[in-house]
Amino acid sequence: MSEHAASVEITNPTGLHARPAVKLTKLAKTFADATVQVALAEGGPWIDAKSVVKIMALKAGRGAFLHIRAGGAQGAEALAALAALVRRDFDETHV
Amino acid sequence: MHIDEALRKRLIQTVAETVIAHAEDLTELDQAIGDGDHGLNMRRGFEAVLADRDKIAAQSLPKALHAVGMTLVMKVGGASGPLYGTLFMQLGKSIPDEPTLADATEALAAAFGAVKMRGKSDVGAKTMLDVIAPVLAALRDGADPRGLPALADAAAAATKPMRAVRGRASFLGDRSIGHIDPGARSTALILRAICDTLGAA
Amino acid sequence: MSNVGIVIVSHSPDVAKGAADMVRQMVGEEVPLAWCGGNADGGLGTQVQDILDAIDRAWSEAGVAILVDLGGAETNSDMAIELLPEERRDRVVVCNAPVVEGAVVAATEASGGSPLAVVRATAEELSP
Repeated sequence: MSEHAASVEITNPTGLHARPAVKLTKLAKTFADATVQVALAEGGPWIDAKSVVKIMALKAGRGAFLHIRAGGAQGAEALAALAALVRRDFDETHV
Repeated sequence: MHIDEALRKRLIQTVAETVIAHAEDLTELDQAIGDGDHGLNMRRGFEAVLADRDKIAAQSLPKALHAVGMTLVMKVGGASGPLYGTLFMQLGKSIPDEPTLADATEALAAAFGAVKMRGKSDVGAKTMLDVIAPVLAALRDGADPRGLPALADAAAAATKPMRAVRGRASFLGDRSIGHIDPGARSTALILRAICDTLGAA
Repeated sequence: MSNVGIVIVSHSPDVAKGAADMVRQMVGEEVPLAWCGGNADGGLGTQVQDILDAIDRAWSEAGVAILVDLGGAETNSDMAIELLPEERRDRVVVCNAPVVEGAVVAATEASGGSPLAVVRATAEELSP
């Protein structure tokens, strides 16, 4: 069950493209005791945030809302970390 | 049949020289349907074999065949390296020191299977397998080995109307039709060189 | 625990190196990575010895996943695997995936400590 949820606007100019997708997936994978899913609509479809191929296929652009839900022992921690990454524009350097 | 060191040397020499002499023809065939490097790659490989001729021939027949295969794997580059390498390495693994014609036939059958697996291909796909298969069938039918070179040449020519489904030629689809497969051609050349040398021995 | 290594094999050394650069920039340093490409004459091609050397450079006890481009790269990689010492042979696989995207996603998966079978399966999700 997913006990924690958040919705974060993607403000990164280039959206959730390939490099941010890798970052998001890598970060999600660091929480072994959490299931993390993301979706572009509240009703889903929900996608495993640890699957880099599926996250890349999301093709979420700037201005889209990324819905995140997480469960498990590290669920709260994982949710906070992922939401923060999206808010930080995936630590991309803008030129 | 006893294939002594002198005969092993002659076999290596003849096969290598035949391939090297036909490098340009093979390249021409490959330019039509591949990337045009078959002749160059094969020449590089067989020049390396020729350079090691004495060292290879000093070993037993199975080990010598294996060594030829290994040299081709390392030196040919391109897909022909592992395919011809596998052919000779498997021949080496399957053939006894003093093979009868039946032993040689079974070794060729094993090599045919190994090449098929390596190339993930089969008969009818416009490859070297289209030459090995009829030669193998003829040997199993007890055909006179003297007729094999002509049979192999005909089998190589018969790849002309085939459509390639593996390798670079497969990207051409129907446009691969109408050209002899360079791998089939080089296989026929090698077989003729082997038969001629053994026939003269 | 060591992460699965990634080897990139392309007919072109420029493509192989470029794909490796992308992996390093996008995924980072925690995955052993090596690449090879080109033939002995400096032209396009792949060579078994180069692939063996690349496997050695990217070697990890968790295994190595190889990403290849065109047909000969795959055939030569299969051949290289067969020539590995027996104790390594079962820990190297060729992924059926596009070389650049496959390398990035395989490395991403490997960076999280996933086993070889999972790394391969992730790369192969890219192939329909």
